[in-house]
Amino acid sequence: MVLKTLNDLKKLVEGGPRKKLVLAAAQDQHSLGAVVRAWKADIIEPILVGDKETIQNICTENNYDISGLRIIHEPETDKSVEMAVRMVSSKQADILMKGKVGTSTLLRCVLNREWGLRTGNLLSHFALFEVETYHKVIAVTDVAMNIAPNLKDKIAIVNNSVNCLNNLGYVMPKVAVLGAVEMVNENMEATLDAALLSKMNQRDQIRNCLIDGPLAFDNAVSLESAKHKGIKSDVAGDTDLLLMPDIEVGNVLYKSLVFFAKAKVASIILGALVPIVLTSRSDSEQAKFDSILLSAAASKW
Amino acid sequence: MEEMVLGLQKKLRVAVAWAQDSNTIGAIDEAVKNGLIEAVLIGKPSEIQKTCMEGRIDPDKFMISSCGNEYEASQEAVRMARNGDADIIMKGLVGTDKFLKAVMDKEKGIMIPGAVLSYVAAIEVPGYHKLMFITDPAVIPFPDLDQKISMARYAVEMAGKFGIEKPKVALIGASEKMSRHFNNSVDYAIMCKMADRGQIKNCVMDGPLDIFLACDKGSAVIKGVNSPVDGDADILLFPSLESCNPFYKGLMLFGKGELAGLIRGTEKPVIVMSRSESERSKYYCIALSCLMT
Repeated sequence: MVLKTLNDLKKLVEGGPRKKLVLAAAQDQHSLGAVVRAWKADIIEPILVGDKETIQNICTENNYDISGLRIIHEPETDKSVEMAVRMVSSKQADILMKGKVGTSTLLRCVLNREWGLRTGNLLSHFALFEVETYHKVIAVTDVAMNIAPNLKDKIAIVNNSVNCLNNLGYVMPKVAVLGAVEMVNENMEATLDAALLSKMNQRDQIRNCLIDGPLAFDNAVSLESAKHKGIKSDVAGDTDLLLMPDIEVGNVLYKSLVFFAKAKVASIILGALVPIVLTSRSDSEQAKFDSILLSAAASKW
Repeated sequence: MEEMVLGLQKKLRVAVAWAQDSNTIGAIDEAVKNGLIEAVLIGKPSEIQKTCMEGRIDPDKFMISSCGNEYEASQEAVRMARNGDADIIMKGLVGTDKFLKAVMDKEKGIMIPGAVLSYVAAIEVPGYHKLMFITDPAVIPFPDLDQKISMARYAVEMAGKFGIEKPKVALIGASEKMSRHFNNSVDYAIMCKMADRGQIKNCVMDGPLDIFLACDKGSAVIKGVNSPVDGDADILLFPSLESCNPFYKGLMLFGKGELAGLIRGTEKPVIVMSRSESERSKYYCIALSCLMT
């Protein structure tokens, strides 16, 4: 199964039980808008944890109809985040979403050893792009969370992402390890890591995917360009997942796709017990909605 | 090995440094008799003649060049190679370190500038279905990535001279898995990708592989490892001298193998053999150096 558009994610959630999404510190207009819309679209069953009065006021002001929605009153931000996280760890909710709270506070709760959502895996950011000039959606990791992943981190990031893609119905996602060139260059660490990841994949030490790298961006996404360079690869030109060498490259690519290529994007945090929706204010309304959709499709609980 | 010898056409000149060694002279004599070479024996003439007599060999079929000590004899052999007076040089009774010192001398030696000095050997052993090339049993104790790449290239080049166009190169380890406990597995993964990308040419490469996976098809099936080398390796590249050297000696001793080996990275073939090597192996080394010229 291959997704052509982000909208195709809907097919994955249709018909199944609606996933419960808990919005921590829910008194946030941006998040509420997307959550209510996703609820109305039958994608999720939201639970709002936060200051009830503020939540209701925001919804009234913005014409969000939340009649029938479950709201848990907890005016203190830290406590509302803790409560939301505990709801997930006790399996009362399937997805965690950040509301009006700093990312660091939310992640601290996620990583709490007693009642958090730790799995022992590294947390990583996973973004799924729909861009007109590519023949299917393309996942990119890690553009926002891990700054300069070492080999061990990259293995964890690939595993997180592959697991997510498997959940989305990709049996053998094609993973391109990105470099500036497709050749191995001892002075470019990313190309060496790429060679190691490829070999570990061949030896079944990284499973359920097909890895090739280093691949330059053009070889990764264009078969013609790969052919031109004489690269024999099952991944080149048909990449499902691009692994970034570091956050700088990742973030610039992410923003170039959004600003220059007018790409649609959905993103979630992986590596915790459940997908975490962690959108920022600058994300478009659509991106927030699509991120919730992605989290519901990727949720395996 | 015999097939290799039969294919040889040119008659080349071999200079032997400190030649008064019965094994060496025996091998040289065999090669001269078969028309492969003509020989210049460098050393003390009286002792060379004595050694020839003892081996019932006529010293007059060799040119003899007089030299006072083993290092000078090595330098003389190298000088001859540089000047074009010899096509191949060979170590006699001189210690390997002294001999290689003359070879590697920055001004007077015969190293290819910037090249890695390494050793590749072809082995014929009844237990394997074809010739096997191994590297490096003799020169580089702990090869780094660049040295391993050179070793692979030398071995591929040598296999090519034997008519093997796309040799299967197995990068040998204790297991086929990647592990941070085995630094060599990291180098191997990098090399495989370089072979994929055409940065190491004219071969099929895989590693880490253990000897079973490299040389026995059945093992690959049992272990479920899908390797392009497919239990049919032409070349075995070892992670260290101390793993390669006992491997080849084990094959010689227990597997009744014969070996032909050469130093690589020099302008002209350099034959260095363990003193305890058989005369037959020494003869094959001479033939191999003719092939590589």
